[in-house]
Amino acid sequence: MKNLIRVHNLTHAYEKSRQPALKEINLLIDQGEYIAIIGPNGCGKTTLIRHFNALLIPTSGEVQVDEFPTNDPKRLLEIRRRVGMAFQNADNQIVGMSVEEDVAFGPGNLGLPTQEVRRRVDQALAIVGLTAMRSHSPHSLSGGQKHLLALAGLLAMEPKVIVLDEPTASLDPEARTMVLKLLRELNSRGICIVHVTHSMEEAALAERVLVMDKGELVADGSPDQILNRVSWLKSLGLAPPIITELMWRLQENGLNVSSSVFTIDAAIEEITSLLEQLRGSSQASLTREGDENA
Amino acid sequence: MLRPGYAYRESPVHDRDPRVKLIAVIALSIIIFKVNFFGLLVVSMITLVISLLGRLSLRSVLKTVYPVLPFFILLFLMYIFFTPGRPIPPFPIGLLQISYEGLNLGILQIWKFLLLVVAAAILTMTTSQSGITMGLERLLRPVRIVGISSHDIAMLISLALRFMPTLLDEMNSISQAQLSRGANFNPRRLSGKIRAIGYLAIPLAVNVFRRCDELVDAMEARGYQPGHRTYLHELALSLLDYWLIVGIIAALVLVVIV
Repeated sequence: MKNLIRVHNLTHAYEKSRQPALKEINLLIDQGEYIAIIGPNGCGKTTLIRHFNALLIPTSGEVQVDEFPTNDPKRLLEIRRRVGMAFQNADNQIVGMSVEEDVAFGPGNLGLPTQEVRRRVDQALAIVGLTAMRSHSPHSLSGGQKHLLALAGLLAMEPKVIVLDEPTASLDPEARTMVLKLLRELNSRGICIVHVTHSMEEAALAERVLVMDKGELVADGSPDQILNRVSWLKSLGLAPPIITELMWRLQENGLNVSSSVFTIDAAIEEITSLLEQLRGSSQASLTREGDENA
Repeated sequence: MLRPGYAYRESPVHDRDPRVKLIAVIALSIIIFKVNFFGLLVVSMITLVISLLGRLSLRSVLKTVYPVLPFFILLFLMYIFFTPGRPIPPFPIGLLQISYEGLNLGILQIWKFLLLVVAAAILTMTTSQSGITMGLERLLRPVRIVGISSHDIAMLISLALRFMPTLLDEMNSISQAQLSRGANFNPRRLSGKIRAIGYLAIPLAVNVFRRCDELVDAMEARGYQPGHRTYLHELALSLLDYWLIVGIIAALVLVVIV
C-alpha cells in the first residue's frame, strides 16, 4: 500500500538553544488508517501533527505527504488539500458569516468554480447533518455543531486524511458521541483519521495507537497491544480506560480474565463467562461432595 | 443593532444585485447635496417608492433613525440659531434669534441627512451582509491597479462581521468576571471610568490576539492565501440591473453637471 504520510528522522526545536520538542521521529501512515495519538501534556503530540500539513517545518529530517515534501513552499496548497486539520477550539476555525459560506471557504481558496464549490458544500453539510442550518450564523450554533461545522469545512476540501487535535475536549457527552460517530463514518469512507486525544476510551476506538513521551514515539501498535499495559501507561502519567483497569485489577487478584477489554460490553461478556466458569466448577465440587457422602 | 434587521423577502428590491444598491446609495449621497427643495422632494418620493417595493414597513425604516435623532436635533438648533438673516417676528429676544434663512437651511440639511440614513437602512435591510461584502469586493476590483486585492478587503470585512458577536459575548463574560472579583464599573470619578475601560479592554485585547493566532493557523490549514479566490455565491447582473446602473449614473451626471 502507498504511504500517505512519511515521517523520516523528524526533529523539531522551537528555539535552537532549548531541548527539541521532537526527537528523531520515524513514522509511516497509510491510506484509510484510524490512528490515535496519546501521551502526557507537553510530549510533542501537537508539534508532531502540525508537521503533517506544513504548519511547522522540520528543523531536521523530512515529512512527505503523498510524495510532496512539506518544506517546499510551492507544494503548500497540494499538501493542505490532502491533509485537513481540526483544532481544539472550533470557534476560532470558523471564518464565514453563515454556515454554508464557512464550508465554502476551503474550496474557495482552491479557486474552484462556483458550481463545484456549491456541490462540495452541499455534500459536506449532508455528511455532517447540518444541511438544515445552512444559512444560520455560525454564532447561533451549539459547541458540538461548531465542531461538526469545522469538520464539514475540512470535508469540502475532499482530504485524504483528517488530523484532529483533541476535538472532544470541551464537549458534553452527547456532542462527543456525535463527533466520534462521525469520525468512524468518515473512516469507513476511506478517509484516514489521526486523532490526538487524552481519553483512552477514545483511543480504544482506533485501529492503531501511537504513544508519545518527551518528544519521542515510545509505542506503536493496536489498542490490544498498548492499552492493557496498565502499569506502564500509569508510569507515563496516562490513565488507561477505567474498565481496562478494573479487569487488570481482577487479573492481578488471580482471576482468569483478559485485560484487553476496552468497552463495557466486552467487560460484561468477560465477567459473565467468568461467573459461568465459577458456577460450573462450584457445582462440580458440590456433586463430588455428595458422592463422597454417599 | 449589529444586524440591522435583514430578512429575506421576495421583492424586486431584495432581488437586485448588491452592486446596484451600493451604487444607488453612493449616487444618492452625492445627488442630495446638489439639489434644491423640489429635487429633494423627488428623491424622497423615489426612496419611499423603493422601500414600498421592498415590502419594508415604514415603521421599521424610521426606527433606524432613532439612534441618530438627538444628534440631528442638536444640528437643527445650531442651524436655526446661528444662521444670520431676517429674524422671524417674535425674535430677536435678547441675543437669541431665529431667521427665515436659518429655518430654511436647518430643515433642508436635516432632511438630507435623514434621507441618507434611511437610504443606508434600506440597503442593509434588503441586502445580506455577505451580499454587501461581495458587492464591495466586485466594485473594488479596479483597486488592484494600485496593488491592493479586493479579495483581501472582502476577507477583512467578513471576518470582522463574523467575530463581532463572538467578541461581544466575550466582553460580557470578561465584565462579569471582573465584577465578580470586585471591579467597579460605575465609578463617579473620571479616573475610575478610565480604569474601568482598562479592566475590559486589556483582557479583551489579549484574547483577541490569542484568537488571531489560532485563526491564522486554521485559515492556513484550509489553504488560505492572499489574493485570488472563488466564492459560493458569484454575483451576476441581470439586464434590469444593467439598466438601473446606467440610469443611476445618468441621473448622477445630470445633477452634478446641470
